[in-house]
Amino acid sequence: MSSKIKIAQGAMVCKEIKVKGQVSFGASTIIHPGVTLIAEAGPIEIGENNIIEEYVNIIHKFLPGEEQSEPVTLKIGSNNVFEVYSIIEGVKSIGDNNIFESKSYVGRNLTIGNDCIIGAGCHLTSTSPIEDGTCVYGKNCTRQKAFCKPSVPGGHREFLVKLLPSYHLLRKNKNPIEGT
Amino acid sequence: MELQDTFYSKSEYVETTTGNKVSRQAQIYGSQNIILNGKVILQSGVMIRGDLASVKMGRYCFVGRGSVVRPPCKKFSGGFTYFALQIGDHVHIGEQSVIQAAIIGSYVHIGKNVVIGKRCILKDCCMIGDNTVLAPDTVVPSFTHYSGSPGIQIGQLPVCTQDLSTDYTKSFYDHFVPSIDNL
Repeated sequence: MSSKIKIAQGAMVCKEIKVKGQVSFGASTIIHPGVTLIAEAGPIEIGENNIIEEYVNIIHKFLPGEEQSEPVTLKIGSNNVFEVYSIIEGVKSIGDNNIFESKSYVGRNLTIGNDCIIGAGCHLTSTSPIEDGTCVYGKNCTRQKAFCKPSVPGGHREFLVKLLPSYHLLRKNKNPIEGT
Repeated sequence: MELQDTFYSKSEYVETTTGNKVSRQAQIYGSQNIILNGKVILQSGVMIRGDLASVKMGRYCFVGRGSVVRPPCKKFSGGFTYFALQIGDHVHIGEQSVIQAAIIGSYVHIGKNVVIGKRCILKDCCMIGDNTVLAPDTVVPSFTHYSGSPGIQIGQLPVCTQDLSTDYTKSFYDHFVPSIDNL
């Protein structure tokens, strides 16, 4: 399968990433090196202002035996932070303002709302949807309603926007058409 | 007990004059901000983000396969910055670990698959068990053994930890040799 990448204006995508299938990056999204994106079961649409750190795996694949089913689009909202080594495998959808901390794992058929925090090292395999404002933490993946919303990574993004171009080779759109 | 030899292929590693052995598959960014003080081993897939802030590493350090060493960040009322990461001498970091500490002292052993949260401070002579998750801003005192998620103290280390750690990292470096068919 050939890989098709659409990069909106203002997005920064490092060269050293692995992409399979069709992936689109929204405006001002930052992709650190070492990220793997596999879009075999339909395209992945990544929204605006996301930060995806090193060695994050976003895998959108069919289950074995269901390869012939209809392709579905995996939509990831805006203002999400995916920290180092988090694995997103076959989720249905991801909302806005979520934080996936280091080494978190999100399994199949999960729906993740808005303003959620998935704690470091949490392994989520159940299929009950994660509601808005939930915080998942600890070794037993305890779920609790958070009292305040996670902060939007605005300052973080602006800092990286200034810093990354001087150290990294960035991917560019092959045909620079706006609004793709 | 003598450590067994660990073999590596000579074509995969670059050896510097100070004895650093760095895999060609290691991803090192912002090399002008990284100081390796000598006899440091970086295995394949190791990522060091010197572009975010400076990274200093002492002598006889080892960083295992796929580990990520990245300076910590903090949001202040005035803005957002990354700040320097300091690692002492004789530090062993296992495979697939994520290090976002502010300071790591000397003679520290960090296991495999560990997450060290942002701005943690690890004092000299401490040990972090495998699969530990240390919460951000944790301070690990000397001579303690931390483990679990979130990481808590589960034991103490002997007074001779400094010597044990020195012996271990030195002999690990000495036994990290090129494989025979490449000589």
